[in-house]
Amino acid sequence: MFDTALTAADFAFLARGAGMTIVVTLISVIAGTILGIVFGVFRYQVGPIWAAPLTFVLDVFRSIPLLIQLVLANAFLGTILRLNMSGFTVACIILSLYTAAFCAEIVRGGIEAVPMTTRRAARSLGMTWGQDMRSIVLPLATRVALPSWIGLALGVMKDSALVYIVQVTELLKSTQILITRLQEPLLLLMICGAFYFVISFPLARFGGYLEKRWSND
Amino acid sequence: MKQTTLGLGLLAATAAMAAPSYADKLDDIIASGTLRCAVVLDFPPMGMRDDSNNPIGFDVDYCNDLAAALGVTAEIVETPFPERIPALMSGRVDVGVASTSDTLERAKTVGMSIPYYAFENAVVANEGVEMATWEDMKGKTVGATAGTYEAIWLEKQITEWGEGTFRPYQTQADVFLALSQGQLDATVSTVEVANANVASGNFPGIKIVDKAPMVPDYVSLFTLREEYGLINYLNLFVNQQVRTGRYAELYEKWIGEGEPADLTIPGVYR
Amino acid sequence: MFNYTFQWKQALARLPQMLDGALVTMQIAVLSMVIGILLAILLTMFRLSGIRVLSAVSKTWVEIARNTPALFQIYMAHFGLGSFGIHLSPFASILLGITFNNAGYLTENFRGALKAIPDTQARAARSLGFGQGGAFRYVVLPQMLRIAFLPMTNQMVWAILMTSLGVTVGMNTDLYGVTQGLNALTFRTFELFALAAVIFYLITKTITLGARLIATRLFRY
Repeated sequence: MFDTALTAADFAFLARGAGMTIVVTLISVIAGTILGIVFGVFRYQVGPIWAAPLTFVLDVFRSIPLLIQLVLANAFLGTILRLNMSGFTVACIILSLYTAAFCAEIVRGGIEAVPMTTRRAARSLGMTWGQDMRSIVLPLATRVALPSWIGLALGVMKDSALVYIVQVTELLKSTQILITRLQEPLLLLMICGAFYFVISFPLARFGGYLEKRWSND
Repeated sequence: MKQTTLGLGLLAATAAMAAPSYADKLDDIIASGTLRCAVVLDFPPMGMRDDSNNPIGFDVDYCNDLAAALGVTAEIVETPFPERIPALMSGRVDVGVASTSDTLERAKTVGMSIPYYAFENAVVANEGVEMATWEDMKGKTVGATAGTYEAIWLEKQITEWGEGTFRPYQTQADVFLALSQGQLDATVSTVEVANANVASGNFPGIKIVDKAPMVPDYVSLFTLREEYGLINYLNLFVNQQVRTGRYAELYEKWIGEGEPADLTIPGVYR
Repeated sequence: MFNYTFQWKQALARLPQMLDGALVTMQIAVLSMVIGILLAILLTMFRLSGIRVLSAVSKTWVEIARNTPALFQIYMAHFGLGSFGIHLSPFASILLGITFNNAGYLTENFRGALKAIPDTQARAARSLGFGQGGAFRYVVLPQMLRIAFLPMTNQMVWAILMTSLGVTVGMNTDLYGVTQGLNALTFRTFELFALAAVIFYLITKTITLGARLIATRLFRY
């Protein structure tokens, strides 16, 4: 097992792939969260009927395999609209929207968890809608939503393994490239899996801890 | 105010005049200074990676030659087999130098140059499987790289026989990995790939059994269907590569001693 | 409008093949769910058993399933096991990969659901003469499955979506595999995958709506 043809250059290659995984994830999670908050608040504010088109679109993102979303977006943006976009851009756009679709649900759930009476009390104290949202809803909803959001962010990191389909060389793809050359599938796959695990596990634990701590009071 | 209107009018007029004489892909490539080639990098010796994971191989050199002829720098874009044409259609690459068989079905979507290489195919089997000829594949579990000429042939063959299983994998490497692990009994791949993989020792327990009785697999450079200027250029380039002896040189460098395949077909014009 | 000619007819002509693929996709998802639920119940019991080894097995399973990509798990089921000489067909590999994933997530869901069931119920059952197994089987389990019903339907949807990863292990009879095969022949990427997307959407919608219907029938008090 320790008798391996893996060189320092190969580790650097894997590290570049891991870096790509992290970059794509960070961009998508940040953009997706901002969009998700906007969509979530919008959906809650305008009510189910006016939000129906948005609800439908977000639902589509949650009901179709990510792989197909990427292939379709790539074909649509590139082949049909002839926009000259890199695979990286396409991957980030789709992953952001994918994140936003799930994040909107989390945000809506968070807002709904804030008791209406609390918000009415805030408004009757003379707070504006913005103040109510910022000082009352935001802190309370965050408590409900943060653990799920951490789960979502980690999910996006794991799902980012699929962006290889639009020619982005992330961690799993780099691993496959090395397997092609070195033919040590087991060792390489172990390294790759360990990397995901090392990032995901502590954060998932942290999310679980927050959930436990915040649900008691 | 008046000046602005005049300016706008002039602008519009220029735009209208400029519109019909649009720059084609060939101009675009020369102007941009880079030629982006789709190359499959798990297809030794046509496309692979060296020890520091840089792209090398016959197709990589071919792309570099083409770029040099155009006076631009080459950019190798790695594409798995099933993604070659999508990469072109989505504007991510300018041409494909990706050992692409010139099937009529594909020519409905992309423009093919004259053939720049021709493969013969071999049947490769796991050593644990009793096989003497290609027909022994009947009833076995066989596989090939999804979307390739040999995969299409093999799947048709299995359907004809009415027994056996066909499994397409995403990459050539996965096929040989599966074959070496014994998940597949046999595969059909180009003689070049088969020889390179057996020689490399990366895949223990595989052997070449027989030639596959297929029409030689002529492969072409490809680009967008409507880019006649570029297709013409590609045709002439392929011709020049043979004429100047570069084709034979690359053959010797990547495939080995011997005569490279004849790219002409007796009895018919292209 | 666009500089592109859509050829929907080419895609629609292949619809029967794609629907056959959809059937295989459903098969994989349903099987992986049924086995996944059974395994998850077993893993939950391991967790509750208080036996250290069993509890560790359960924890490790859950953490690996939840903290690595599904694509990795499926690739591992085929090529990872292949290194040990264990050969699974693409169907078995994808089934194993998704089942592994399902079981991990469902165990975690069940654990959450158990928290919502007061200890007193199990104790009451014991005092009524149930054994430990009986109390779990007849009192705790039904409630646990009821509380975890919504997460279970979510997991079912995930299972459907995950079948698309089968192509990496040579699967070509499921919906995604069929679509990709057709794409290699014709290169009408957008049309074919758009059609596949619609089919996937209809399947997942049917499942969520069906589950909601079942939920209202089953769970009214």
